[in-house]
Amino acid sequence: MRLPRGIRIERRLELPRRTSAALSAVFILLSFLVASAVFEMMGVNSVRTLSTVVSVFLSPPSLLQAVQRGLPIGLAALGLSIAFRMNFWNIGAEGQIYMGMFAATGMVLIHAYYGLIPEPLLMLSMVLAAFIVGGAYCLLPGFLRGRLDVNEILPTLMLNYVATLFVDFLVYGPWRDPQGFSFPLSIPFPQYARMDSFLGHSSYLGLLIMVVIAFLVYGLMQRTTLGFEMRVVGQNLEAARYAGISIFRTLLIGSFIAGGLAGIGGFTLVSGLIGRLRPRASPGYGYTAIIVAFLAGLNPWLIIPAAVFFGGLLVAGETIQAALNLPFAAVQVFQAIIFIMIIVAEFIKRYRVSIRI
Amino acid sequence: MKEKVSRRKFLGVSTATAAGAVAAAAVVAGIGGYLGGQAMAPPREVVKTETVPVTKRIKTGYIYVGPVGDFGWTHAHDLGRKWADQQFGNVESSYIESVPEAESAGAIENLIRQGADLVITTSFGFMDPTAEVAAKYPDKYFVHISGYRSGAAGNAPKNMSSAFAEFYQLYYLNGLAAGAVTETGVVGYVAAHPIPEVIRHINAFVLGANYSYKRRTGRNIKAYVNWLFSWFDPGKTRQAATALVEESNADVLAFTEDSPTTLQVAEEYTTQKGRRVWSFSHYGDMRQYGPNAHLTGQIVHWGPIYLEFYRMVATGTWQSVDIWTRIGDYMPFRWRQPVDKSTMGNVDGTLQMAPLAPQVPSEWQQLIKARYEEMKELLFEPFSVEGNDGVPIRDQAGEARISGNQRADRDMLWNMNWFVEYIESELPKV
Repeated sequence: MRLPRGIRIERRLELPRRTSAALSAVFILLSFLVASAVFEMMGVNSVRTLSTVVSVFLSPPSLLQAVQRGLPIGLAALGLSIAFRMNFWNIGAEGQIYMGMFAATGMVLIHAYYGLIPEPLLMLSMVLAAFIVGGAYCLLPGFLRGRLDVNEILPTLMLNYVATLFVDFLVYGPWRDPQGFSFPLSIPFPQYARMDSFLGHSSYLGLLIMVVIAFLVYGLMQRTTLGFEMRVVGQNLEAARYAGISIFRTLLIGSFIAGGLAGIGGFTLVSGLIGRLRPRASPGYGYTAIIVAFLAGLNPWLIIPAAVFFGGLLVAGETIQAALNLPFAAVQVFQAIIFIMIIVAEFIKRYRVSIRI
Repeated sequence: MKEKVSRRKFLGVSTATAAGAVAAAAVVAGIGGYLGGQAMAPPREVVKTETVPVTKRIKTGYIYVGPVGDFGWTHAHDLGRKWADQQFGNVESSYIESVPEAESAGAIENLIRQGADLVITTSFGFMDPTAEVAAKYPDKYFVHISGYRSGAAGNAPKNMSSAFAEFYQLYYLNGLAAGAVTETGVVGYVAAHPIPEVIRHINAFVLGANYSYKRRTGRNIKAYVNWLFSWFDPGKTRQAATALVEESNADVLAFTEDSPTTLQVAEEYTTQKGRRVWSFSHYGDMRQYGPNAHLTGQIVHWGPIYLEFYRMVATGTWQSVDIWTRIGDYMPFRWRQPVDKSTMGNVDGTLQMAPLAPQVPSEWQQLIKARYEEMKELLFEPFSVEGNDGVPIRDQAGEARISGNQRADRDMLWNMNWFVEYIESELPKV
């Protein structure tokens, strides 16, 4: 890339964790400042708007909502944290979420139509199926990368459309609810297949699942040989090869787990948020997960608060529309400013920009 | 700091004083006016009374699937909201737009947390979430647009109603106009999703077009349908509409999509490419997007439906209902009128047939008006042998779906999953 004379961009060495966290915090605060300026320019009281946003994170019912919407985002981001550490640029979490929804719904249908899975085991089987199918869906780009050295970005991205259309096909066709007046919907899930059957709100079970998985991901990456191998593959392919690590095998396992976790995110979407399968069920959570994974610095523990933060932003977007009569476009501007600031912060963490005249 | 407090106190005191003064003045003026009124009123004349608010102030919240500026579906709902607010007066309404279906339950609860007494959700995908939240808040009221779940239907809590303004009659009349002007004998339809509502509208449109075209030429109409699998996609709509003109030779394009794109495509053909192509208004008045290509159209006015629910909630007379408005419903005078006095083209209850282009021959204008008037009393039904010029309505496989003196009933209208025989395109496999 050509830059104006005098401006140089160079890669930084790893920043200390505290500095990195502080940078993220500063830029999020900065984004609030920029957003206030925009709100003021629109003639909107920015103090009231931002305090409405903050109140979302302080009142229990809206915080539960934030957690609920953060579930698919966070689970997909946990998977991405593994993939990205392997230097496997999976843009396909959205499609893997869809495959997870497909698998979880499939279990409900098997249960409802054939009575094969006993009630108490249904939810567990849905989670497992979502993991396996979501993972299998990510194996293909993993295989292509490992065997044929095909860059994974395009295959993962394009498989998103395939997955979305596949779910369309099912709900418009064979999986259509026979009592649903031919609308494209699966049958509604029974209560025991819904995550809110546990303590009355899907956030509780969802948070539990997220914490357990964050723990497992942390353990895998930091405490096992496999995790070590994945990190080596991500940092230096030559070193990995020299150390005798099977890059192909590592890539396959890593991409399987990454896709599987996004698949579980899909499970939380159908079982927690919607309660049946429908076309275009995910409004882009798999893409938001990419930003969340980076905001958390690919740290599995930080992904949970980062996902809840983003879930909260979605809730806040509604609240400021309803309470302050702001148009959705203003909400989008607000959210976009936060996204951009996070990306700028990531850039500054990685690169040093120097100007010499 | 001290100064600030004292200033605030001062403001408080002065506000209180001002409020007190206003209240006192009002009391004095009220008594004075009362006495004055008593003194001056001539005997036996009815004294004009001030309206006493018997209704409480209500808060309503709307959930929209698209942006209010889509010039189609959501725009029409927002106009309905504004109309109902203005008519009712004692109401405060707010809305959340562009809500994805997965997030709608949260958005509905969000409105309840903001104090809404009545929540109106305006997309089919919001049906289950609305029922779920309704069960959670039995003292709040919910209306879902375009679904089949309500307390009245017995498949939702009692505090949930459903409502829809139905277009199939207007589509039939639009079809009559299309068949009256087509030169190629081919009509096209850009369709959103293959669900019964859209299929019913396509069938009604094609039946109408066939009726007038066959009367004109003795031949059957040919119809082609292109699917979008989306409610709002101007880019894909442009492709679909262009393909209908270029590949299928259609010169009248109807559509179910929430933007005026199809009409714009027709306008471009008519004014720039030297090819006469007609299209319609859909949900909103879209004439400005295709002044030369606008044949007629289907326009909705949700306001009267919303107003009715405002009244129910404000007066504590809630009743779960399943409203499905057709021509006639919510009209102040719903009797059939003579053709020369037809109200077709006006805002009429919840529906409006967009004004007919003058190029539609006058005998067809007459017939369309006559049918419109008959439908006010449901005397004429498009899905009947009469609507198909005396022959049974057959599907693409040749099976007679409506024959003898049958008329489509609710189940047939709601479950329609077949195309009439005049449609050449296949219905996506279900």
